[in-house]
Amino acid sequence: MKLEDYSWIVLLLPLAAAAIITLFTQRHGKLSAQISIAAVATSFLLSLFLLITLRETSHAISAINWLAIGNLKVEIGLRLDHLSLLMLLIVTGVGGAIHVYSWGYMQADRCVSRYFASLSLFTFSMLGIVLANNFVMMFIFWELVGVSSYLLIGFWYEKASAADAAKKAFITNRLGDFGFLLGIILIWATLGSVEFDALKTTLAAHPAALGSMAGVAGLLIFCGAMGKSAQFPLHVWLPDAMEGPTPVSALIHAATMVAAGVYMLCRVFFLYEAAPAWPECLAFLNGITALNIISWIGGFTALLAALIAVQQNDIKRILAYSTLSQLGYMVMAVGLAAPGAGMFHLTTHAFFKALLFLGAGSVIHALHHEQDIWKMGGLKKKMPVTFWTFLVGTLALCGVPPFSGFYSKDAILAAAADPVHGNVGLFILAVLVAALTTFYMFRLIFVAFLGPVKDQAVDQALESPGIMVWPLRLLAVPSVLAGFWGLELFIGGAFGETAHALSWHEKIFAPLNHSPLAALFGLFATMVGLGAAWQLYAKAVQDPLPEKLGLLSRAMRNRFYFDEIYRVLIAITHELLSRLANWFDRWIVAGLMVRGTHGTTELFGRALRLAQTGNLQTYAFLFAAGVVLVLWFVLGH
Amino acid sequence: MNAALMILEIAVLVLGIALLLLDLWTPPARKRLLGYGAAVALVVVLAYSFKLTGETGFAFGQAYAFDGLALFFKRFFLLAAILVLVMAAEFSDRIASGISEFYSLILFALAGMMFAASANSFPMLFVSLELITVTFYVLTSFQRNRLASLEAGVKYLILGALSSAFLVYGIALVYGASGTMDFAELAGKSAALKDQPLFLLGLLLVLAGLGFKIAAFPFQIWAPDVYQGSPAPATAFLAVGSKAAGFVLLLRLFNTVGLDVTWHWEKLLMVMAAVTILYGNLCAIPQRNLKRLLGYSSIAHAGYLLLGVAAMSPAGSTAVLYYLAGYLFTVLAAFSVLAIIIRKTDIEDVSGLAGLNQRSPLLAATLTLAMVSLAGVPPLAGFFGKFLLLKSVVEQGGSYYAYYWLAAVALAGVVISFWYYFGVIRAIYWSKDPADLSPIEVSLPARICLYACIAGMLFLGLFPNRLVENARAAVLPPPPAKIAEKTAVAVASPASIK
Repeated sequence: MKLEDYSWIVLLLPLAAAAIITLFTQRHGKLSAQISIAAVATSFLLSLFLLITLRETSHAISAINWLAIGNLKVEIGLRLDHLSLLMLLIVTGVGGAIHVYSWGYMQADRCVSRYFASLSLFTFSMLGIVLANNFVMMFIFWELVGVSSYLLIGFWYEKASAADAAKKAFITNRLGDFGFLLGIILIWATLGSVEFDALKTTLAAHPAALGSMAGVAGLLIFCGAMGKSAQFPLHVWLPDAMEGPTPVSALIHAATMVAAGVYMLCRVFFLYEAAPAWPECLAFLNGITALNIISWIGGFTALLAALIAVQQNDIKRILAYSTLSQLGYMVMAVGLAAPGAGMFHLTTHAFFKALLFLGAGSVIHALHHEQDIWKMGGLKKKMPVTFWTFLVGTLALCGVPPFSGFYSKDAILAAAADPVHGNVGLFILAVLVAALTTFYMFRLIFVAFLGPVKDQAVDQALESPGIMVWPLRLLAVPSVLAGFWGLELFIGGAFGETAHALSWHEKIFAPLNHSPLAALFGLFATMVGLGAAWQLYAKAVQDPLPEKLGLLSRAMRNRFYFDEIYRVLIAITHELLSRLANWFDRWIVAGLMVRGTHGTTELFGRALRLAQTGNLQTYAFLFAAGVVLVLWFVLGH
Repeated sequence: MNAALMILEIAVLVLGIALLLLDLWTPPARKRLLGYGAAVALVVVLAYSFKLTGETGFAFGQAYAFDGLALFFKRFFLLAAILVLVMAAEFSDRIASGISEFYSLILFALAGMMFAASANSFPMLFVSLELITVTFYVLTSFQRNRLASLEAGVKYLILGALSSAFLVYGIALVYGASGTMDFAELAGKSAALKDQPLFLLGLLLVLAGLGFKIAAFPFQIWAPDVYQGSPAPATAFLAVGSKAAGFVLLLRLFNTVGLDVTWHWEKLLMVMAAVTILYGNLCAIPQRNLKRLLGYSSIAHAGYLLLGVAAMSPAGSTAVLYYLAGYLFTVLAAFSVLAIIIRKTDIEDVSGLAGLNQRSPLLAATLTLAMVSLAGVPPLAGFFGKFLLLKSVVEQGGSYYAYYWLAAVALAGVVISFWYYFGVIRAIYWSKDPADLSPIEVSLPARICLYACIAGMLFLGLFPNRLVENARAAVLPPPPAKIAEKTAVAVASPASIK
């Protein structure tokens, strides 16, 4: 067994756990949880082992042939390189912490076995995406993630809102996946392969191999990322997905599912390095690359989500929109030809956003499922561990040095300020988003944890049990330190970048040396946001913003009416289409075609039956006539 | 003369006479059991027939041929008679007088069919056909207290007599033109006679007589009325046995005698097949009476079988044999269910099937499978049979373009047939407010028969290879007959037959 073959174990352990739980231990919640946690923990340790042993190799593949149809050969192959090794760690590591936390959070639920089975299935699917070495396999696991996220979001399916959210997430993702699939087919049709290595080699040798479809292929593939990573205009499913259990929110929104889109873009980044070209009907796009479009979509999503987050009152929704906003950052980074920065931010974000979600879960758990921040306040004293870890996460998210978020966000700002690939507009936008991020996060901190107590329920609140608090502590560590681990360097290896290693104290100040403009603007934005939040919310009992901003605040609170617009749009088009289809079915298919044929046939039948009079003389005559007919037919010619 | 070749027929005849005698000493309450006894005896005969595999020979000179084709059909008829006898025993309550005679008549008809399978000359053909037809005159009108049954008997008698008249006239003309009635001798002379109108006229009239047996257009007119009026077991035997007898004669006549002539008849046969299919299926659509519906359906199936004859190829003949085998299980399954239902409720209408799935799931499932097989849905026997028939027709399309059209018409007919077959299924499972939901009992022998039919339908549909091989071996042209061995043939003159 070669070293890379161990990755099969990493992949299959969670699947085995899901199968065992579903088949055998449905009735034993605790045992199910243990199996699930053990599987993911073992996967984590193996991933760590693989990372350490394989960190010097560029990549290794362990593959088996799966199917061959004509020229299309598809392997189930596992690809281990810097990207996938890092992602393995995030999925199993952060995912593992969430597994442990889940046991504390979900203990009381009577379907806890089903929960852990779904969780394990989700982990398996996610690992499949990470390890896939070709498009087809990635798409299969991509869909599996869709299915298992559907199961998890709709876990409390008896709640109408949860069931609806699950459907919404699934269907919205289908839209993106459709484009993704078209893109895969297009690439296979033009390049004749679906394997990443082969594609990369082909494109490196002939950058124009995709011809005029290069831009379209890039955008179609991006559609998949748009769905999973919830980019505008397919972002609507993510906030609703908060209806699932809070650990699920952490899993989906922080570490894994939403990261899949960004990860996929990084994985196939070589596609976007091909010569940009558009078919004739899209000639107006000449001069713009697919990456430009991607970066603007990312930037716009970041801004939009940050604005919405400012006026949300549900603690989980604030975090959800913050996730959207950060995903926008990552996508923007990829669009700015800095996938390394995107992956770096993805990694740090996975740590601190999981931490924030689990912290929010801890609060919600303590307050008996109260999620409105205006009914909290003063939680710092009641739940000190939760508060301090939450604060760590917030500082990391806001990009306060030396927390990890500062370094990854700075990398993105630096990419936007880059003289070659950068864009002034996007840089300004990114700085603005950074300010907004600090503003809404500290709004949350001030209102929920500091400030006056706003509800009696807070008085009864207790710190969560150890099984929930320890994952918080564990996640706080990388949230602080992930900026110094040389992650950036490690990721850079995946994109063929070389950089010299720095000592740790050099790393602390690296952003200021590397791109002082970006670092200073980022710090400035953070301070502005913090100041504004302090000014408005330090002592606030109710939100002062609606009065000051009026209509704008209402639009923000109502998420800029996207759901309503979509509902109307869908209602109109759907209604129109279904009416048309109904008309076609009723009059053309059922009426003209079915009933027409039916009618004529039946008429024939009834007419022929008239010959069958039952009269013997007629019968004898017809018989004789038949004989004559036959004789005439043969002899008469 | 080689009487040993006729051992199967002789056994059946002896059994029939023995039944009549046994009837004298059997108390009325137990007469029903005679039917089961006869069925068991036929099973023994059927088993014995496998000892004769591979034997060939002639009796009565060349008049009686024993070969693969004959043996195939003899087994076929035996199997059909076994199932029909059990059905008749189930149905005995409804036959007021003389159930033992009913059994014996079935056996005599069976003997006629078995002789027909071996008929290799016109006298033999005529005598065996008359043995079948005359017996059926009685069988169809056996429910003497039922007007419909009497009507069916009279209609069958008069139209049957008419067709026999044409048949006999045709035989006379053939004899007049050729000077022989022996198929083997005719085969030698037909090449020279193929343009002589008198000879052709004779053969066409023979075709009309056989067309009556198989109920093909334009000789199908009697079928619906007779099917509807006759007692269910008689109808079943008519639909399976009588029709198959017509087909074995047709195949033998065309394959041995008329090849030179009938090559020019492909157009006629194609038109007959196409019109028969459409006529049967179209007329079945508005039918509500189940037996009448199956009557029209049997016309349509005669059309499908004619496809194989019209293909004029060994593949076509093979398909006919295979299709008949599947048809046997399917039709007997349907009629057995009908017989049981009619015996219990006396309703022959489709609406009488309402709630059948609750009254007897076995009957409902059997009838459903039978309908699905008749319609030709995989994996049942009817599908593979239709597939073989259509394949043989399409294969001929290369030499004559009209065969493609024939296949298209046949397919259209199949599509139309789905309509009424699935109408029956709908009545079984999706009828609203069934009036009567009392359970219907199915006796053990009947259940065995139903299971056998289901097994046959499924087995032939799923594992067709064995039977296809058998059928292919059966239709291979027999080795050239040894004319030199001509003995003094005891040819009955046409006058002495009547």
